[in-house]
Amino acid sequence: MSATTVKAQFRHIPVLLGGCPDALKDWAARWDTSRLFGYALVIFAGAGLYGAAMGYWRSPVQAGYDLVKFPLVIFATAFGNALLNGMLAALLGLNLRFRQSLMLVLMSFTIAAAILGSFAPIVFFIIWNTPSLAGQTEISLATYNVVQLTQVVIIAFAGVAANVRLLRLLELLSGGRRVARRVLCAWLAGNLFLGSQLCWILRPFIGSPALPVEFLRPNAFQGNFYETVFRAIGHLLSS
Amino acid sequence: MIPQAVLAGVTAGETAPPAPGANPEDHTPIPNAVAAIESMLRQPRRVLHQLRQPQSGRLIVTMLFVAAVCSLIYGVIVGTFSGGTQLWSAPVKCVAGLWLSGVICLPSLYIFACLSGSQARLIEVVGLVAGLGMLLTILLIGFAPVAWIFSQSTESVVAMGALHVVFLLVATYFGMRFLNAGFSAHEDRSGGGIKVWMVIFVLVMLQMTTALRPWIGNADTFLPAEKKFFVSHWLDCIKQ
Repeated sequence: MSATTVKAQFRHIPVLLGGCPDALKDWAARWDTSRLFGYALVIFAGAGLYGAAMGYWRSPVQAGYDLVKFPLVIFATAFGNALLNGMLAALLGLNLRFRQSLMLVLMSFTIAAAILGSFAPIVFFIIWNTPSLAGQTEISLATYNVVQLTQVVIIAFAGVAANVRLLRLLELLSGGRRVARRVLCAWLAGNLFLGSQLCWILRPFIGSPALPVEFLRPNAFQGNFYETVFRAIGHLLSS
Repeated sequence: MIPQAVLAGVTAGETAPPAPGANPEDHTPIPNAVAAIESMLRQPRRVLHQLRQPQSGRLIVTMLFVAAVCSLIYGVIVGTFSGGTQLWSAPVKCVAGLWLSGVICLPSLYIFACLSGSQARLIEVVGLVAGLGMLLTILLIGFAPVAWIFSQSTESVVAMGALHVVFLLVATYFGMRFLNAGFSAHEDRSGGGIKVWMVIFVLVMLQMTTALRPWIGNADTFLPAEKKFFVSHWLDCIKQ
């Protein structure tokens, strides 16, 4: 792939973020390998940088691990659910080819990753101003809450912005709001379901100061996210 | 749909401000730093128009240079409160703090601009941030005599710190007006994203004042050993 082609693909990112309906409809209709490569680069760079900023709170090594793991969650979710998303779209009234549904999902993840990447310097600055988790077993609740809340707000904003763009594009392609909303809800449910479990397997992203810095926990493939949530709810109700 | 004139802050009954470039004087290039300062204060639309031209790099570099020099000068004024090492460390921190705040917040500004439908290119966004920095620091120079008089006539670190923060916020307000005018001229669909970014930028700058402390008063180290958020630091200072 030539440098000119890569440059051209990066120039499409502002158009993608701006949500120009004619351009996006055209892009969603055509499978373009060079554009796909551009999306993959943005997802890797944006999500990777954000993950690294997040993981730096634990240690620079954790930052390096998250540089790889955060984009991996996104790619694994997009490709893991690709077949399901393609089928659900057709069943819910949106006649898309498999490649088109994959392209749409990747476009929305690209928007989210671009937003996350742009906030990476801010998150890194916040983490830099926070006592490091390395070597500490206790962090003040206020500090932890500030960092946690910042992460939640930024990730939520990126997710909402990306899904608003995706919804508009689905409305254009389907010609109606009802079908577009049903398809979006179905895709979101599937992606959240798989994405949560992938985050569980690939943990830690920040990690506890009481545990060593590792790429994966030894029990990564034992148990699952939903089991843990149910157990936590059970403990809460029984206490 | 909200008319563009209202988005640019013009109330009903008033005529909308002319777009950058509508006035023939806007087309006159800005050759040097003095012209840049004059234009920023008296003809901001000329600056906005020149930033949209293909060869705007030189103007951007000029604005960054002016911002750096003005930060250094204001930093010296800040340092006169305590004297000693603060006479050189405060100016260095002023320049570094402003530049770091701009660099940290620039990517998110570009993204917010794109999400708002702005047609601004990345270089134009850089130019608008450079303009914000230049106008902010020019205004701080305007406040410099007042700051110096107070620093020579008070011994309270908290009072002087608060005064400098107030001057910074007032100067930032005018810098933000320039930035907002720049984006309004670029056919933003909505100014909401830019407003959110402004809040983020102010918070980053306020945190930078704590991250690079001390600015006034004395300390054993150039940078603080303890990490704090700015609210916590201010409360600790007030309690002392």
